[in-house]
Amino acid sequence: MSAAEKKRSLVVMRQSPYGGSLARASVDLALAMGAFEQNYDLLFMGAGVLQLVTGQDSQKIGAKNIGRILTSLPLYDMESVYVDAAALDRYGLNEADLVLPVSLLDESGLRSFLNDADHLVGC
Amino acid sequence: MAFDKEGFLRDLDDWTPEVAAQIATGEGIQLTPAHWEVLNLLRTYYAQYDASPAMRPLVKYCTLKLGIEKGKSIYLLGLFPGSPAKIGSKIAGLPKPDNCL
Amino acid sequence: MNYTLLVLSSPTSGHSAQTAAKFAHSVIARGHSIERIFFLDEGTTNGSRAAVFPQDEADKLQPWTLLADEHGVELVLCIASALKHGMLDETEADRYARAGATVHPAFIISGWAN
Repeated sequence: MSAAEKKRSLVVMRQSPYGGSLARASVDLALAMGAFEQNYDLLFMGAGVLQLVTGQDSQKIGAKNIGRILTSLPLYDMESVYVDAAALDRYGLNEADLVLPVSLLDESGLRSFLNDADHLVGC
Repeated sequence: MAFDKEGFLRDLDDWTPEVAAQIATGEGIQLTPAHWEVLNLLRTYYAQYDASPAMRPLVKYCTLKLGIEKGKSIYLLGLFPGSPAKIGSKIAGLPKPDNCL
Repeated sequence: MNYTLLVLSSPTSGHSAQTAAKFAHSVIARGHSIERIFFLDEGTTNGSRAAVFPQDEADKLQPWTLLADEHGVELVLCIASALKHGMLDETEADRYARAGATVHPAFIISGWAN
């Protein structure tokens, strides 16, 4: 595919990391897309921002550590992810509490960001 | 030692360097220090990211840890012909991949 | 317009999956096309050939298989999710030494990028 034809996909994460199996399935999906060099951005909204919190320990529930998996994103040339600033605020978190560098989006930023994507994968 | 029909370890705790050599032999690979450098890197990757690498992140990880000369698909393919991430992970005693990577 | 759908819900948790299948049929009836439907997480259980639905309730499998058989839509189950939900084709059942396939042959098990 040439650069001009290349559509921008957006994967939106809205699930808390361990409340169900969808968060993990979406992370797998995002990594698989990255492994095949698909062009996409990753946006964490609502409870999805909790996937990015540092110091997660999922060992006792026998699950993989989603925070640690997400720290491998720079190896897929994804240096930064997008975060719903209001959600972060609602959980009393700030950028320093997150496992990756993030770009914060306020309400209007979020709206145009979602609008501008050619493909939207909402998880 | 218990292996499944595809030659993956049933119990990852059974992994030792000797077992690695045994799995490698099954894959037609004689382990050298160059192989071990990558195998150790795979185990470090797994410990750090709680995931087995696909080819793309593995290449980048090799670049970061072993230098630009070794961070190349062709270098890894030379060591683990066919599918370096998959075969390397198998020899390194990482979990059987549950995906197409 | 060419659509690709992502199905995340199981056939028994509410009506989302059913609605998605109906949407797919409507889209095609209006002359649009659907190349592929991708099933992730619990959505993979839509591919079960073993599920039995009451005779007086909607058949939750047939709308999907019709899409494949009559309209050539590719029904793809995410392999990582499918395995966790016991959704296996012959190959995977053999690979993991399980009794037999549980996925209807109209579906394929694959990764995202294949």
